[in-house]
Amino acid sequence: MFELRNVTKSYLTPNGRRYIFRDLSLTIPPGKNIGLIGRNGAGKSTLMRLLGGADIPDSGVIATDQSISWPVGLTGGFQGSMSGRDNVKFVCRVYGASGESMREKLKFVEEFAEIGTWIDEPIKTYSSGMRSRLAFGLSMAFDFDYYLIDEVMSVGDGHFKKKCGEVFEERLQKSKVVLVSHSMGDIKKLCDIVLHVHKDGITVYEDIDEGIAAYHA
Amino acid sequence: MIFALVLREARARFGERRFGAFWVLVEPMCHLLLLSVIFSMIRGKTITGIEYPVFVLVAVAPFLLYRNTILRLMDSPRENRSLFGYKQIKPLDTFIARVLVEACLAATVYAILVAGFAWFGFDMSITRPLEWAATLALGLTLALALGVLLALLAHALPGSKTIIRMLFFPLYFMSGVFIPASYLPHSLLPYLLYNPFLHLFELIRGEVFPYYIPLSGVSAGYVVRVTLCLLFLALGIYRARRLHLVSSKNG
Repeated sequence: MFELRNVTKSYLTPNGRRYIFRDLSLTIPPGKNIGLIGRNGAGKSTLMRLLGGADIPDSGVIATDQSISWPVGLTGGFQGSMSGRDNVKFVCRVYGASGESMREKLKFVEEFAEIGTWIDEPIKTYSSGMRSRLAFGLSMAFDFDYYLIDEVMSVGDGHFKKKCGEVFEERLQKSKVVLVSHSMGDIKKLCDIVLHVHKDGITVYEDIDEGIAAYHA
Repeated sequence: MIFALVLREARARFGERRFGAFWVLVEPMCHLLLLSVIFSMIRGKTITGIEYPVFVLVAVAPFLLYRNTILRLMDSPRENRSLFGYKQIKPLDTFIARVLVEACLAATVYAILVAGFAWFGFDMSITRPLEWAATLALGLTLALALGVLLALLAHALPGSKTIIRMLFFPLYFMSGVFIPASYLPHSLLPYLLYNPFLHLFELIRGEVFPYYIPLSGVSAGYVVRVTLCLLFLALGIYRARRLHLVSSKNG
């Protein structure tokens, strides 16, 4: 369950203030996988960040009673000169996993990312693929009600993709997703409700096909 | 959370270069040693009955701590921006973590130097250690407030960073780091006494050396008032601007 009340969000650019959302109010019913579709620059990622609490609206309230992940596959938060292991530990500490549960999560990420002994090398020496493997593994190590996914369903090689798909399938038994994607196939497969983000605001479609039709229109 | 950030910050500092931990400690040590040795060669061995290297060290060490704290705080929002993707982490947490790391480093360096000086026969005892620690902590709070303020300023006007950095050079002299404040030009003293750092270093000397008499007009109360005002101002502006600091697309 998400509730947005009179949300306004703008960014300050060198050419003045640009409004992404103005006075937006909507309710998303509980227990649904949410798909966000829309043109580039319409505000999908911003909306996702707002839902996740990683960004804050200029005014208005976003209320939810669910635990929400950071954007899955977020690699920007890694500290380049620290090893992969230390970065994982850092996130564990931030999310309150210490002692035994931290060891568990570390083990999970290690096994999932399959980067072997590279885990003890500084992150800045990683290839981009290794970085995303680690980031994806890290996201999957924690249990959230909602996972935020911004078009990162396709990282790494074929083998890793398959593995991601499997883990994801398993997660979806208990958890839900907020998916930003341009792939209508993914939206159809995963989502129960779509939010079409366009320049005049957001339209909620309970019927996926109807939403996709509106997007193509 | 702060603990996690402190660990991360310290790791990042140590990991910047080869022998990172070594350099992080040795660099300020060299800085302090050079300053105290050079100035004692210029000025002669003692000043108001105190051995000059000790005299300089006692004030330069906290000065460097405050300066580094302020400057590093100023860079903090930009350097830590990617962290705000984790919603638990707020800019204020990164500020506090930075201050703690900076203070721990400075304390370590200072301790090593004090031990070194004592080894060579200088008298390093502190007459009133409790007051001394309190004054240092007060200065650190002042640095925190000032650093947060400047971080907010630098975030709003990125060009101001260079100017702020340059301003620290005259501050060196205006704060009476190398000489007792009573050696400063008397006609300017009423203005110089607006500078809380001058008060701090005079107080620190008065608390370390048994017979040093701080300049009249120096008061801890003034520093406390300035610190409280700045802290209030910094946190107020921070409160108003925190959304901008977090947002990835601003500035």
